[in-house]
Amino acid sequence: MGSFMQRTTGTLIIPVGVFAVVWALAAIDGASLFSSGDSLLILARTTAVTMLTTMALAINLNSGRFDFSLGAMALASSTIGAHIAITYGGGFPAMAAITLVAGALLGAFSGFLYTTLRISPLVSSLGVTLLYEGFAFTITGGANISFTQYPELVSFGKSLTAMIAVIIVALFAVYMVFDRSRFGSDYRSLITGQSAAVSAGVKEKGNAIRTYAVSGALMGMVGLIQASSKGLIEAGSINFSTIGIMFTAFLPMFVGGYIGRFSNDKLGYLLGALSMSVIGLGYSALRMTSAEQSLITALLLVAFLIFLSNEERVTRWWRRMKAGKGAAPSEPTSLESVGAGAR
Amino acid sequence: MHDLNPTDVSKETDVPVDTRNDATAKAADKAESTAKAEAKAASKARRSKLFADLAPLIGLAVLAIAFVVVGTSSGTNMSYALETLINQSVIIVIIATGAIFIFAMGSFDISLGASTLVAAMVAGLVHNATGSLWLMLGAAVLTAVVTSLISATLAAVFNLPVFVTTVAMLSVLGAVASALVQTTGGAQIRVDRSFAREYDTLTVKLIVAAVFIALCVFLFNYTRLGRVEKLIGGNPITAKLTGVSMKLTAIAAFGIAGLGVGLGAFLTVLRTPTLTVTSASDIGMNILVAMVFGGMVISGGPRSRIYAAIIGGISMALLNQTMAIMLQGMAGGAGIAQMVRAVLFLAVVWLAASGFRTKVLPR
Repeated sequence: MGSFMQRTTGTLIIPVGVFAVVWALAAIDGASLFSSGDSLLILARTTAVTMLTTMALAINLNSGRFDFSLGAMALASSTIGAHIAITYGGGFPAMAAITLVAGALLGAFSGFLYTTLRISPLVSSLGVTLLYEGFAFTITGGANISFTQYPELVSFGKSLTAMIAVIIVALFAVYMVFDRSRFGSDYRSLITGQSAAVSAGVKEKGNAIRTYAVSGALMGMVGLIQASSKGLIEAGSINFSTIGIMFTAFLPMFVGGYIGRFSNDKLGYLLGALSMSVIGLGYSALRMTSAEQSLITALLLVAFLIFLSNEERVTRWWRRMKAGKGAAPSEPTSLESVGAGAR
Repeated sequence: MHDLNPTDVSKETDVPVDTRNDATAKAADKAESTAKAEAKAASKARRSKLFADLAPLIGLAVLAIAFVVVGTSSGTNMSYALETLINQSVIIVIIATGAIFIFAMGSFDISLGASTLVAAMVAGLVHNATGSLWLMLGAAVLTAVVTSLISATLAAVFNLPVFVTTVAMLSVLGAVASALVQTTGGAQIRVDRSFAREYDTLTVKLIVAAVFIALCVFLFNYTRLGRVEKLIGGNPITAKLTGVSMKLTAIAAFGIAGLGVGLGAFLTVLRTPTLTVTSASDIGMNILVAMVFGGMVISGGPRSRIYAAIIGGISMALLNQTMAIMLQGMAGGAGIAQMVRAVLFLAVVWLAASGFRTKVLPR
């Protein structure tokens, strides 16, 4: 860690830089990032959903556990919450509470399966994805759940205050759980030295199940936000059609990991999600097609990974250029430090 | 003092001799029992590993029996059901067999489905422009191999994790598929249906599958490439220190996988001559499920088996067909079928991993 200035610069350079570039591009095109009344709401909602998904992905991936079932957990928990709230009443509070509890339980069950079967977490998550998608489909008979007749269930996802509150509460909760608790201390010791931590008495199984439960609760919130903002739950999604949401979290996760070097990775996930949301507003302002958006996002991901993977080489090259000595090769920096452990 | 040897001692002083003999005997007994226990444990471990290796085959046999029993008892036309089964599994088997070269190295490609779609679309466009079957096949294979090599080269040149590179490729290929569809001015690419039907036969499929699988089995089991890939998957550091070129091996693996994707894309166009951006959307994940169902170890290494894709692909198709017959007309039947598929998948994987558990949780 360097000085306060260095840390502040490292923490803010990406979100501020992204905002400046996107704003300038929009201005050159004669467009505004915040042209409609809903722009701020969209920014906050997209940031909330992306941040929650990124955290849900990262807390397991940091431990080497890849989880394909994030989208399926969001779908199944929101289906359960909405189905019970519509069938038995209780309005939005009931739907929210049931969805969050269901998300946590589905996450815990996923962790229980993984720790009990002791199979690769990636493989386990494939089975869990099939299971939860099939479960949501079975509850509704494959039909979508529409909130057209229940306007009280859609107000949450359309409230700017609610979205900002979600971001603050989730960020604080995840920070407290993973950075300021005994559980978090055990979690980090398992990341840095799995065998040593287990030999020292850390209960790996319980820690993993609770991590999955937190991941499930975060995805429950994602399901709740999406259900109430769209007014619809696509409960008929099967054959792995829910895994797409996970891919939106990769770039913010790497950005968050990078920012985490200067401050805190959880704050990094928020700033990474915020940067992605600003880019999303830029796409809209520049009237880009979904194909163009996918292409640019993918290129940004590759470019950022290339930077991370060759950061040391770039830095040395830059220093030599400044000193007028030309470039020199060096060993690449490991991506492990920013959560890219998968080969 | 007598200069005693053990035989003399036995004659003159009984007590100490008996004690020494007892101690020796006890030590021998202990050594024997330890050896027996070790042999028993080793035998148990061998049985366990043998069972783990056989679990996918047992799963396949059970599913085949269930398919025949359910099919015949419900009066299903079994020859038609068998044809559907081959149609369902052959594309997955071909692509998954090629993909084993990537997975054996401990790498992971999630863009195979999207790559299949793009290759199929290019093949369809080439056919529409030329009317040639062979050019269509060539276009499918070339597109898929080039796509696959782009992922491998990006990962190799820039030292990127293969999985994340393929995540980015997934988005890029999705965008390319959208752009290709837009070139037709509509929402789909159509290939002449009568032309497709002419070649969408079991004979064509089985010939393509047999030739490609034979090539893969040869390369994987009887050449240095296969051995090196398993070595990289098992211990990349050792492989590197042995002088193995990780980059060239990865490029070769992705090239072979690309060939499989190209052939799968070719058969996809014949099977589904109307292509949209959602065509083949579930192929990528189903390949993964099929490989694991067939006993492929996701971390690669020496336990990688080239036949895992064949066993897994056929098992999945058998299960899908059996569930389709059983749940015909039932509301939510597709959801129940998927849940059953999930439970069986987890059960087979659990059995296949039974001989290889460690003290800490796998990652």
